[in-house]
Amino acid sequence: MVMTGGQRIHVESHLCRDCQACTLACSLYHEGQCNPGLARLAVTKDMAKYEFHILICQHCNSPECLLSCPTDAMTMDGRGVVIIHDEECIQCGACAARCPYDAIFYNVAADRYLKCDLCTGREGGPLCVELCPVGALMLET
Amino acid sequence: MAFGWVGKILDVDLTTKEITVRDTMAYASDYLGGRAMASRIAWDEIPTGIGAYDPENRVIVATGPLTGTLAPTSGRTVMASLSPRTYPMPWYTHSTLGGWFGAELKYAGFDAIVLHGRADSPVSLNIRDGTAQLVDAQDIWGLDARKTQLTLKERLGQGTQVLTIGPAGENLVRFATVQHSEENAAGHSGFGAVWGSKNLKAIAVQGTGSVSVADSDALLREVIGAGKFQVAPCVGVLRRSSESKTERRPVCSQACTFDCYINDYGHTKDGRRVPRVCVGGVWSDQGQQMSLTKYSGSGVEVPAGRNFGPQEEAELHQLCNSLGLDLWFRLVMQPWFIRCQQLGIHEIRGHSIEPEDAEGFERFMVQLAHREGLGAIFADDLVRAMDELESELPEELIRLGRELEFDFGFPAHREGRFWDGEPLPFWVISAMMHISTSRDPTIGTHESSLLHADFFLENPELARHQFRRLSEQVWGYPDAFEPTFENKAPVAIWSQNQHMLIDSLPLCDFAFPQLVRPMENRAEWEAAEDISGDIDLGRRLFLAVTGVDMSWDDLTHMAERAFTLERAMLARAGRGRKMEEALTSHFKLPCRADGTFIDEAGFSRLLDEYYSARGWDLEFGWPQAELLISLGLDEVIPEIRECRSRFADEGVGPSESSRLAWPAGC
Repeated sequence: MVMTGGQRIHVESHLCRDCQACTLACSLYHEGQCNPGLARLAVTKDMAKYEFHILICQHCNSPECLLSCPTDAMTMDGRGVVIIHDEECIQCGACAARCPYDAIFYNVAADRYLKCDLCTGREGGPLCVELCPVGALMLET
Repeated sequence: MAFGWVGKILDVDLTTKEITVRDTMAYASDYLGGRAMASRIAWDEIPTGIGAYDPENRVIVATGPLTGTLAPTSGRTVMASLSPRTYPMPWYTHSTLGGWFGAELKYAGFDAIVLHGRADSPVSLNIRDGTAQLVDAQDIWGLDARKTQLTLKERLGQGTQVLTIGPAGENLVRFATVQHSEENAAGHSGFGAVWGSKNLKAIAVQGTGSVSVADSDALLREVIGAGKFQVAPCVGVLRRSSESKTERRPVCSQACTFDCYINDYGHTKDGRRVPRVCVGGVWSDQGQQMSLTKYSGSGVEVPAGRNFGPQEEAELHQLCNSLGLDLWFRLVMQPWFIRCQQLGIHEIRGHSIEPEDAEGFERFMVQLAHREGLGAIFADDLVRAMDELESELPEELIRLGRELEFDFGFPAHREGRFWDGEPLPFWVISAMMHISTSRDPTIGTHESSLLHADFFLENPELARHQFRRLSEQVWGYPDAFEPTFENKAPVAIWSQNQHMLIDSLPLCDFAFPQLVRPMENRAEWEAAEDISGDIDLGRRLFLAVTGVDMSWDDLTHMAERAFTLERAMLARAGRGRKMEEALTSHFKLPCRADGTFIDEAGFSRLLDEYYSARGWDLEFGWPQAELLISLGLDEVIPEIRECRSRFADEGVGPSESSRLAWPAGC
């Protein structure tokens, strides 16, 4: 059994307004460009119901992604956050397939898997939490 | 490598089905993007003398360098074309919409789309990651805007972003919209009908690419510094309470992190939550806002509109969006029909009118969109219906219809009389923008001038004190917002230049420019000595995204260049001083807030002041050679000279000759 440090981003999707500030900020912070497809979280919309859903890693106590990775591409850092190491990743997709929150994302153009790292090293914590104007994302410890 | 812009413009010939690509950067340095870039493309490519439904008319769909980035409110798109709505003849104008389409277009690799020609049967344009194709759309022709989007998302993927017309556009209703998402629309300029005339049903786009940012740290710093959930529009502070601050309102555009007082949620009868924005939103405001249509003065009686209740209004609102009708038609047609009833007229050409019955009004909307029954009479807009019905109805009603759409066919809006009651000098600033702009000028200048009238209505003494200081800071003299007729051209022109920049970067005019800073609550406003906002924020966002360091002089020069090109296109159409002086009749009506008005001589002086400040001649109100040279538009000089010669030679003013020049049916 692998145990995390307990930090995670609590999601209240019903508050979401689809402004995408979280995904844009995430891709900007991590990749230096604005592209929701390069974000470590996703906001999806069901137009028929006018409902939005936020998908983001919940930093499971027993992370299936980490357990399913056939290489050394996933490790857990001191905070209990699972990190993807691109150089070790063979893009097999096992982690994404096992994620119960659909929160590991494959970017076709970059041929990379992406997941939330709680903005490693950022003073002030995860940027998406800081910028979400309606409190749909909140850091829980 | 360019930052901000993605570098390509898609050219689509609907007649030949040929699709090509051109370089965005050929326009970027002089025209930035969005509305300004569209003005250059339109000037170069829309032939003089054609109508809005001519295949050679262009539809330009343009984003700006900030679209698709984190810059707050930047997820906007501009549309530009010859309009079938402008009265009495078509001319070039623009319309903007929020939403998520523009960002997706850039993620697909395109800054803009230029469409021309006419397909021989309905088509839609599908764009995906650098590729585009026209596909048959006969099976979705006839679907409403919502069903069209749901259908295309089902076929192409839920992440697809769609622009589409509804039945109103297909049936060439002159105030037909191009819709997007639940609520967004290029609504005011009748471009839905232009799409319909081209047999263009929809544009669907998917992209997985990025918008590169020159200085991501700077952009993040600016966005975080701008604060989140700040009240926008800034004047919304008058309505914000500690309770309302915890309410959650919808956004109408990607990257908007503001708390916007023109947005709200509603629910349809079947319980579906829907967003409601601005004109649509106020319909559901328990009747309170509908009273703003009430006016009485100088023989003009405008009854209050009728509110049908929250759910009924939400239904009507959704229907309006689905049919693809400009929401504003309600604000002029409903009061006009109520006045008909007050004068004992209950049917027109055998069709009963039911403006105070929700189901009856719903039927009327459907008829409008399909040009059937009563709708067939009004589908060319209220002002044209007045020409049609002139010999059949009392003079008061004909005059009322013309005043309600006095703005060259656009509904009255923030002109101090019929819709909102701006006191002097706000309606004078508004009048100057009305005489010089191709369309309702308010939509685009809320925060740069007109909306601040609300502060003066709330507490005139406090507002005058605060705005004298602000005026000195921004325009270099203290009386920009003093209740006089003098020295208002600099404010009108500044506001219009800001409007051009906002439509070109793009940003939302309910949040930019921050002439007044966002404040937490009413008490903070009442205690404030200095209310000035961060006017420079838009420039710094542009710098962070693109890396291009333009001064305000540079940006103003760019805005003036594009605005002048738009004015030159009005000259092409024959719109000039004579038509603009005719707006006097509306501003002779007493202002609802303070009873002030202006006569012919005074209005003429306003035109002189404004035209002179712009560098336009006083005879036609068109750009003079010196101005064109200073803006690097030397090549425009011969055509303006030819316009002056043409209209002078014909011995009539621009308005009359142009009416004769335009083909029927356009």
